[in-house]
Amino acid sequence: MLLSLDKTDTRPLHEQVAGAVRRAIAEGECAPGDRLPSARDLSEALDVNVNTVLRALRGLRDEGLLEFRRGRGVTVAEGARPHSELQIRVRELLAEAARLGYSRTDLVDMIRGMP
Amino acid sequence: MRDTARRTTAVVWTAGVTAVLAGMPLLARDRLPDRLATHWGLNGEAPDGSMPLWAASLVPALIWLVTAAAVTVPLMRAGPVARPWTAVTLLPMGIVLTGAQASVIRANLDRADWHEARQPTAWVVAILVAAVLAGVAGWLLVTRRRGTPLDDTTPEKAAPALDIPQGRRLVWFSRTANPWLQSLAAAIGLGAAGALVALVGGLADPGGLWALFAGCAAGSLACGVFSSVQARVSERGLEVSFGPLGWPGRRWAPGDIDTARMEVRRPSQVGGWGYRLSGLGTTVMLRAGECLVIRPRGRRTDFAISIDDAERGAALLNALRPGPTRG
Repeated sequence: MLLSLDKTDTRPLHEQVAGAVRRAIAEGECAPGDRLPSARDLSEALDVNVNTVLRALRGLRDEGLLEFRRGRGVTVAEGARPHSELQIRVRELLAEAARLGYSRTDLVDMIRGMP
Repeated sequence: MRDTARRTTAVVWTAGVTAVLAGMPLLARDRLPDRLATHWGLNGEAPDGSMPLWAASLVPALIWLVTAAAVTVPLMRAGPVARPWTAVTLLPMGIVLTGAQASVIRANLDRADWHEARQPTAWVVAILVAAVLAGVAGWLLVTRRRGTPLDDTTPEKAAPALDIPQGRRLVWFSRTANPWLQSLAAAIGLGAAGALVALVGGLADPGGLWALFAGCAAGSLACGVFSSVQARVSERGLEVSFGPLGWPGRRWAPGDIDTARMEVRRPSQVGGWGYRLSGLGTTVMLRAGECLVIRPRGRRTDFAISIDDAERGAALLNALRPGPTRG
């Protein structure tokens, strides 16, 4: 699988790492059931602290994209691809809203007001 | 042209050795006893095995034909690079069998009964020395004439490079496992554990058990280490690690690599599974198919690992390589 980080990105590193893995899942770089490289491998290759990587992976598990299994490491969850695409779009929406001056609450209100 | 010449040589050598092996006892049959002594103990005294004349003529010839077929057929299928092994295997093997047959005939010549035949140890030593010399000569002959076989496939033409966007950090991960080797490692490991338990329990003769345990443990370890391989390409270069523990491993910095490419290789080309040295350089072979092949800087041989998605790994490695060759 190919992971890509933007060196000029100013977001917190764990969000960037999570974003890279999420994009890899959305683009089909790793299929459901595939084992992810170990956190130590990821941290060495991406030149990021291992705790940062673990934080990113835990976040992705909470989104339902990854599964932590004892003895089998971290695997991509069943049906993770469409979910990761949705997660990416939600994040894009948030960024776009922030750029236009809407807060998250404004956005939530907007969604609530949808027919 | 050269290919047919090589093939003719192999066929002539195989047929010639067969004729000599089968013909010698038949030609000398008037001076030989009914049964020939064919096996001697280590002390070089009386023989401890014999065969009728027809078997002494047929058995070595059959052994030879079967080995020749077993060696030639897979190597012919494997393509040109692996073929030096045909010469290196068939030349000494033919000399050992012919020499053994000649010495058997000589030992039995003019004896009334096979029990009287004697085999001087010096003969056996001479045959083995001749075989080793023939093997070395075959190797030199074949590799010398071929020149440097890998130089006409210099990877310059096939060196794809990935386009890395400005300000991006790309890393590539891949892993390959061979479940057969994994189960083999587990099975042999069970054997080792069983031997150890029997040793501790004092169930059997410790000498043989220790040997069994050591052999099984070493075999299990070797199978286990080369049953899976992980590779990653990052700004640190190419890092390869073996086995479930990721140890041992090897690393090349981007500057240490001349070129990287993808190549399809089969176990028959490199001489089997595991960590293989062959005419193609070093290959870590787990399964037939895509291999990531690199040419380390300042080396004339390649290092290859069989791994999935090797094409992109090679492309990223080429893109990370510093220097003017970068596209």
